[in-house]
Amino acid sequence: MKENPHASHLAFEVRDITYRYDQVTALKGLSMTVKKGERVALVGANGSGKSTLLRILAGLYFPQSGDVFFDGQPLSAVDLDEEQFSFRFRRRVGLIFQNPDVQLFNPSVFDEVAFGPLQLNWPKDQIRQRVLETLELMEIAHLRDRPPHRLSGGEKKRVALASVLILDPEVLLLDEPSAALDPKSQAQMVDFLVSWSGGTKTVITATHDLDTLEDIADRCYVFESGSIAAEGTPIEILHDVGLLERARLVRVQHHVHDHGAMHPHPHLHR
Amino acid sequence: MHIPDGYLSPSTCAVLYGAAAPFWYVALKRVKKLLHTRLVPLISVFGAFSFVVMMFNLPLPGGTTGHAVGMGIAAIVLGPWAAILSVSIALLIQAIFFGDGGITAIGANCFNMGIVGSLVAYAVYRLIGIKAELSSKRRVFAAGLAGYAGINAAALLAAIEFGIQPLLFRDASGTPLYAPYPLSISIPAMMLGHLTFAGLAELVITAGVVSYLQRADPGLLKFSAPDAPPTDECAQRYAGQTPWPTMRKLWLGLAAMLVLTPLGILAVGSAWGEWTAQDFADASARQQIAAASGNQLPPVHPPQGLERLSSVWTAPIARYAPSFIRSASFGYFVSAATGVGLIIVVCLLVRWLFKRQPEEGLITSSRRSRRFVERTVEGLLGAVERSIYAEQTARGRGFLQELDPRVKLCGLLGLIVAVAAVHRIWTLLALFAVSLILALTSRISIPALMTRVWIGVLAFTGMIALPAVFLTPGEAIYRLPLLHWPVTVQGLSSATFLLLRAEIASTLSILLILCTPWVQVLKSLRFFRVPVVCVVLLGMTYRYIFLLIQTAHDMFEARRARLVGTLHGPERRRLAAGSAGVLLGRSFQLTNEVHLAMQARGYRGDVHVMDDRNMRRSDWIRLSALLGVAILALWAGR
Repeated sequence: MKENPHASHLAFEVRDITYRYDQVTALKGLSMTVKKGERVALVGANGSGKSTLLRILAGLYFPQSGDVFFDGQPLSAVDLDEEQFSFRFRRRVGLIFQNPDVQLFNPSVFDEVAFGPLQLNWPKDQIRQRVLETLELMEIAHLRDRPPHRLSGGEKKRVALASVLILDPEVLLLDEPSAALDPKSQAQMVDFLVSWSGGTKTVITATHDLDTLEDIADRCYVFESGSIAAEGTPIEILHDVGLLERARLVRVQHHVHDHGAMHPHPHLHR
Repeated sequence: MHIPDGYLSPSTCAVLYGAAAPFWYVALKRVKKLLHTRLVPLISVFGAFSFVVMMFNLPLPGGTTGHAVGMGIAAIVLGPWAAILSVSIALLIQAIFFGDGGITAIGANCFNMGIVGSLVAYAVYRLIGIKAELSSKRRVFAAGLAGYAGINAAALLAAIEFGIQPLLFRDASGTPLYAPYPLSISIPAMMLGHLTFAGLAELVITAGVVSYLQRADPGLLKFSAPDAPPTDECAQRYAGQTPWPTMRKLWLGLAAMLVLTPLGILAVGSAWGEWTAQDFADASARQQIAAASGNQLPPVHPPQGLERLSSVWTAPIARYAPSFIRSASFGYFVSAATGVGLIIVVCLLVRWLFKRQPEEGLITSSRRSRRFVERTVEGLLGAVERSIYAEQTARGRGFLQELDPRVKLCGLLGLIVAVAAVHRIWTLLALFAVSLILALTSRISIPALMTRVWIGVLAFTGMIALPAVFLTPGEAIYRLPLLHWPVTVQGLSSATFLLLRAEIASTLSILLILCTPWVQVLKSLRFFRVPVVCVVLLGMTYRYIFLLIQTAHDMFEARRARLVGTLHGPERRRLAAGSAGVLLGRSFQLTNEVHLAMQARGYRGDVHVMDDRNMRRSDWIRLSALLGVAILALWAGR
């Protein structure tokens, strides 16, 4: 790859971005940074703008105002229209969608995993070999010729991961990686992420699952209706119950005692 | 209205493939330009939507149900060009995967339903809905009418295609080799069903979905309504559309074709097809003809093409048709009704003989208001079950399973073409034997073939073929007691032709389906130089059919769980149309998401796929063997 004169120690830098859908404003003046090799979690309730931010970081949406930089270079629709830049960027940044049915659009698992490299014009022999290696790595080699609609939820997630990891990206963006998985598949997913990053890869995870926060992140951003409410280590965040309640991440249970008094009782699902 | 194999002559099929090709080409070009990078997910997901909507059982007035084709709603939401592609892709998958509609007739079916249906529906919608507000009642009305007109235009075309078969393709004895009825019968027979039930189903679904979208997601209606007064809502999803002027050329082409293809449609007399080619050479027949056509002698040689068909003359129908029948179409219905009863009895008997487990009393015991929901759910599950069954047999061991998919596709297609083209019954029987041997060596159980293919084809084609036994003019060899209907040699052999062709062709195509995993079918299409984009469209459509089936199934199950008491007709229709509307909204959402997912992995509008290994020598040998059989059959059955 060409030497990048703008190379920075930051994987992503986001400055004061605003993103609006037709009627709703999803992100309001949001700023954040992610260092290279860092594991960052975006924590927030449904609809707080995490997914939108991930899509902006993946170069799929472009904010109406504000700037996004990847490795010191601006990321805009114009830049991504340029073929070489786009190829390099797609190679380095991978996004796993929340809904694996969206991500798995090919007729078989093999084709699914081969899709990315094919679009980036890798030589076909190399692709064939890499696909097989990746399938082995993810322990899904036996699913090779299966159609995605006949896979289980856990298998689908693995195929989705394989289809992105085959490009060996530096940055992995994950949208609710453990959503709709049974506990065992969830644990496997977390184990995999922990071992895969190995301190050199950047992993940005959007989640509302507080259980696994400490395992998958070094630093957290807490989202509250389109802007960042707080930033800190998982320990700091998890102890700030007021913050979590405001961000609608924990439910405060009200107990009514015999003598009629009522007091709130923060309830952490851990 | 899915024309099966064997109903149309190979040359008719070829002509219709030819007629469809320019439309597909232009549609692909235009859609690509309009939507560049979104083309693939958009067409695929909507193809899947159209496929699934064809499985919805719609309650119609009078307590019956019917299913729509979905070309009306596709044309309204996607515009005519993308609709052409979506519906065509859905039809293609029905033919090559679900065995619904013939493989040789894909061109015809796409032309009728996909192309003419979509274009007519779009034109009607634009015309009636002109300048109407997006939320106006007039748009709902226009949509209903558009669906109704679209499906009926398609049915009329199919009827014409059927009707010209006996005029053009007969053997020396005057036996019609393909669909046996002339236009005077085929048109009323087809249109009766479509002007009522099928047309109504299409009307209900199109109007219902548009009315649902007006409330739930009006943005989806904007594409086909550039003339609607602007609302304050978001900017147009597809800005700057002026589809009409640029389409004029193709509209003219279509209009010309509509006039030319049926050739003498203007000349349809009651006696169409009641003559044979020999009449032109036979002296006494010539006198008769002359007497019946204003004392003008017909030309000595059967005139070619247009001339032949438009040389109008009306022979008295009584000359050939059974004497009790004054009108051929009436005769058709009388004998069809008798035939249907007979066939149903036979089918029930065979089904009873081969039934493995007693059926649940679900349908019969449930209330009427639930029945259409049940039936839709059953249909959806049936499709999934069939796909699983096919996947299992395709992974089994057997002769066909071990063939290279390209050899299989090419070889079986060759055999199907041979089935459609041979003119001798014993050759057809030989081909049937070949297909049986293929099935046995591939470990496909004959009872399974019987219940899955033969009975269905027998019921459908038998119903159509039976009246031909009495209605085809010719030498009477037997008269039914009491009724005095004549059974003619020509009629008998014509009915046999139709039935055999349909049975053998469906057996061969089901063998292809049961012995080839879908992925491999797609791969082999690439080998035949089918454009990458088409292969990708097919693959993705097939994949999303199952997602949408799942969605639809869950939706109907949820409805079923909540249904209490009896729903009345209009409510049931609203429920069905509402479900289709929800599904449409989800489809659109899915399209956007899938497109993003593709982009995230480097997709930039051109898809690249893996092309697999070359053919080995043994593959070539097997291919030549299969094609050898086909060519032999063609030669022997000339």
